[in-house]
Amino acid sequence: MRNLHALLAFWLLPLAAVAADTWTLPVTTTTLPNGLTLVVSEDHSSPTVGISVVYKVGMRREPQGRTGFAHLFEHLMFQGTPKAPKGVFDRVVTAGGGDNNGSTRADFTNYIERAPVSALESFLWLEADRMKTLDFNPATLKNQQDVVKEEIRVNVKNSPYGGFMWIDIGTLAFDKWANKHDGYGSFEDLEGASLADVRAFHRDYYGPNNAVLSIAGDVTPARALALVKKYFAAIPRRATPALADFGEPLGQTERRLTQGDPLAEVPAIAAAWKMPARGSADHAPMVVLGEVLTGGNASVFYQGLVKGRELSSNLESLWGLTGPWEYDGPTLFTVFAMYKPGGSADALLAAMDEDLATLRKNGVDAATLQRVKTRMKADWYNGLESFLGRADMLARLQALWGDAGVVNRVPDWIDAVTADELKRVAGIYLTPANRAVIDRRPAPLAAPAAPPAPPAPAAPAAASAAKP
Amino acid sequence: MTTTARLTLIAAALSAALAAQAASPAPPALPPELPPFGADQPLPAPRIVRQRLPNGLEVWVVPRAGLPRVDALLVVREAGLSADGAPRAGFATLLAGLLTEGTARRDARTLAQDVQALGGTLNASAGADGITIDAQALASQAEPLLKLLAEVAREPAFADGEVKLAKANALEALKAASATPGFRAEGAMAQAIYGRHAYAVSQATEAAITATTPAVLRTAHAQRFRPDRSLLVIAGRIDAAQALKLAQASFGDWQATGEALPVPPAAPRSATPVRLLLDRPGSVQATVRLGRPGIPATDPDYLPLRVTSGVLGEGFSSRVNLKLREDKGYTYGASARSRHALHGGSIVAGADVRNEVTGAALQEFDAEFRRIGREPVPRQELRETQRYMTGSFVVRNQVQSALAYTLAGNWLLGLPPSFVADYVQQVNRVTAAQVQAMGSKYFAPETLSIVVVGDPAAVAGQLKAWGTFQTVAK
Repeated sequence: MRNLHALLAFWLLPLAAVAADTWTLPVTTTTLPNGLTLVVSEDHSSPTVGISVVYKVGMRREPQGRTGFAHLFEHLMFQGTPKAPKGVFDRVVTAGGGDNNGSTRADFTNYIERAPVSALESFLWLEADRMKTLDFNPATLKNQQDVVKEEIRVNVKNSPYGGFMWIDIGTLAFDKWANKHDGYGSFEDLEGASLADVRAFHRDYYGPNNAVLSIAGDVTPARALALVKKYFAAIPRRATPALADFGEPLGQTERRLTQGDPLAEVPAIAAAWKMPARGSADHAPMVVLGEVLTGGNASVFYQGLVKGRELSSNLESLWGLTGPWEYDGPTLFTVFAMYKPGGSADALLAAMDEDLATLRKNGVDAATLQRVKTRMKADWYNGLESFLGRADMLARLQALWGDAGVVNRVPDWIDAVTADELKRVAGIYLTPANRAVIDRRPAPLAAPAAPPAPPAPAAPAAASAAKP
Repeated sequence: MTTTARLTLIAAALSAALAAQAASPAPPALPPELPPFGADQPLPAPRIVRQRLPNGLEVWVVPRAGLPRVDALLVVREAGLSADGAPRAGFATLLAGLLTEGTARRDARTLAQDVQALGGTLNASAGADGITIDAQALASQAEPLLKLLAEVAREPAFADGEVKLAKANALEALKAASATPGFRAEGAMAQAIYGRHAYAVSQATEAAITATTPAVLRTAHAQRFRPDRSLLVIAGRIDAAQALKLAQASFGDWQATGEALPVPPAAPRSATPVRLLLDRPGSVQATVRLGRPGIPATDPDYLPLRVTSGVLGEGFSSRVNLKLREDKGYTYGASARSRHALHGGSIVAGADVRNEVTGAALQEFDAEFRRIGREPVPRQELRETQRYMTGSFVVRNQVQSALAYTLAGNWLLGLPPSFVADYVQQVNRVTAAQVQAMGSKYFAPETLSIVVVGDPAAVAGQLKAWGTFQTVAK
């Protein structure tokens, strides 16, 4: 069956993916005696580099009573060290002609820089310096508690939908605290974070043995290794707490929640299914199925919901907070869609279930599967094009899979998926029982607790309605 | 603005100036152990093969060895939002979106499937000055890619059903966007900056969406899509001769069919500042924007102003971000920058801040705007900003699509093809005296409009020092 499909697809699409369209990246991996793993991908097509340092700690491993701490800590990594006080890091990156960022996910936290290669050595010094220790300083802690609270206001509290498709949906779908809590954090927990917490987190999770450093671009593996040895080799390894068991079974009964949203004008749903474990036999088929269903305008759900039944005005999908290959514990495949006047969450769910039933019965035809795979492989390459994206993906894969070489195997894994496997995983994972759904509807603003009494005759809305 | 408000503004400005003098922090000293930057590498100048087809279409090919992909970008000048006019506000966005919803030869679904089969993407979008169609495919698929791009640009179907659906979804998207404070602030600021010029109107209105019909779309397409106002960029794993052959085959017989639209006049370079408070009940932040008219990219002030923007408000190390975020903790991010278009430009600064510090945030912007016009930027800070701008330019253009967009974007702005090659040198030539002059010319607080989206009950009192704000209902 497998071979027949492939052959058929070839004749149907004589122009599809030929040898010229495959791309293999050079990957050189070395682990230093202190446990730091270095991944280098050499590419001299531009005199620039991308750098990513991934620490194997994220929201899942932050302490109870300290929601949002892994992310707050990420901010503090930019707030100075005894040798490089606050302001030095950003200044050096800027002066090096580059930029930097960091982000916190369920299973890792990454720190990224990109710049002309002339800045590489300086940036490595900065990364090593903050791996050793930080400036544990009450003023910068307070400053970043304030900044993070503004980040949460701008992205959650003051924003329509408030990130419910990635925050609230996880709380609904999961059972274990590590998986379900709000990784942005409550203001109470953020304000409660102490310098002792910061010290302990850095000591426990930010040692070289819990990190992967990746460099892509205009550098040879030999030079990269020499520089990394020079600045990182003397950092002692530190004891890292054992990983807890985050695993939890698939859902047994559908979970539904309706939320009112005083900021939103258009109702929306998030429907999320628990996914197979990373690297399991169902993983790659499920990734391909996700693309069949939601990958662009040709996808089943786009054609069925936005087109076709015309129930929703948009369609987006998420794999946790990362991507389909970058998780190391329970994660969700989530569909987010705004629904139209007269529509309902039930109508959207019924439509998805109908399309899924058809797919489970008939599978996916060979031409469709071939098209989907072709685009998935192209998208995989696209994500690796920039030196920064390449370095970061290599670091993530090394941290999560223990093998950065996965970067060159993903296209083969995609290719190997069969139509029968799609039917199978659709039946196991994309069921109502394994689903959590939030129906988010526009709602009137709750009356303020202690309203300042406005002067009765002001009628501000009417008086100020005119635009200039 | 009333006399009272002006006086208040000056008083606030004086105290801000004093505060700024007291608080100008020295940059942190660099650690002695920090290894110095290496020698700068020579800049890779992109090899661009240019040809003008007899119908007037500019074709630029940038062969690159990289990932197995070819990008094709068609940019059509004077086809964007500034061609719409107020009654059709935002029309170009609908027009662009519908280009990819079916052609004379393929319906929308077939088109989407065919793009997928090329391992590709296809998107069309409208900006102030033009419409851009961006298509990508695996390297072996260059020929069908170019055919598809030409079909979308030249023979869009505007089928009744697709137009109806696109309108319905555009109305929903407008409703959703209107719920975000940033969208409302941008819309109000564009009006404050550009007044009656076409650039004032960049967001769709319900009336404009509703009035759109297939006939209107067809007429607009015929008027706007013209080879002599277009540039085709082909970049990627393809040789120049092959790319030019494909361009000729797909676009060589393209001719405009409608009457060309008139080119918009130059946008104003000054405006009477306004003070607007856009009511957003229950808002837990104030979305603060300050802005004024600026200049087109072809103005001699362009790069000095870009560098000034860099010092003041672009990136983590810019002055307003260091002050409002890293020093005060008022915001997740603050910026102040110049924006440039073909017929004009603007200056827009802003931050989203918690309600209690709305007035204090305005004070900090005010202080930084005065300082940049009053004091020459220290040599080291200028140098670091220049390194940031030139380094970022090299880094960004490592990516094929970014390079294609840089070239197309510059062309759309009316900049010469040599601009890319000269950019680094030109940026490095800007002096501290120029930055100071740009600061006082384009960031003088007296010339800036202020738009705040927020809850009047929480922020109106703090705004009194900054003029008389007109409250605008939701």
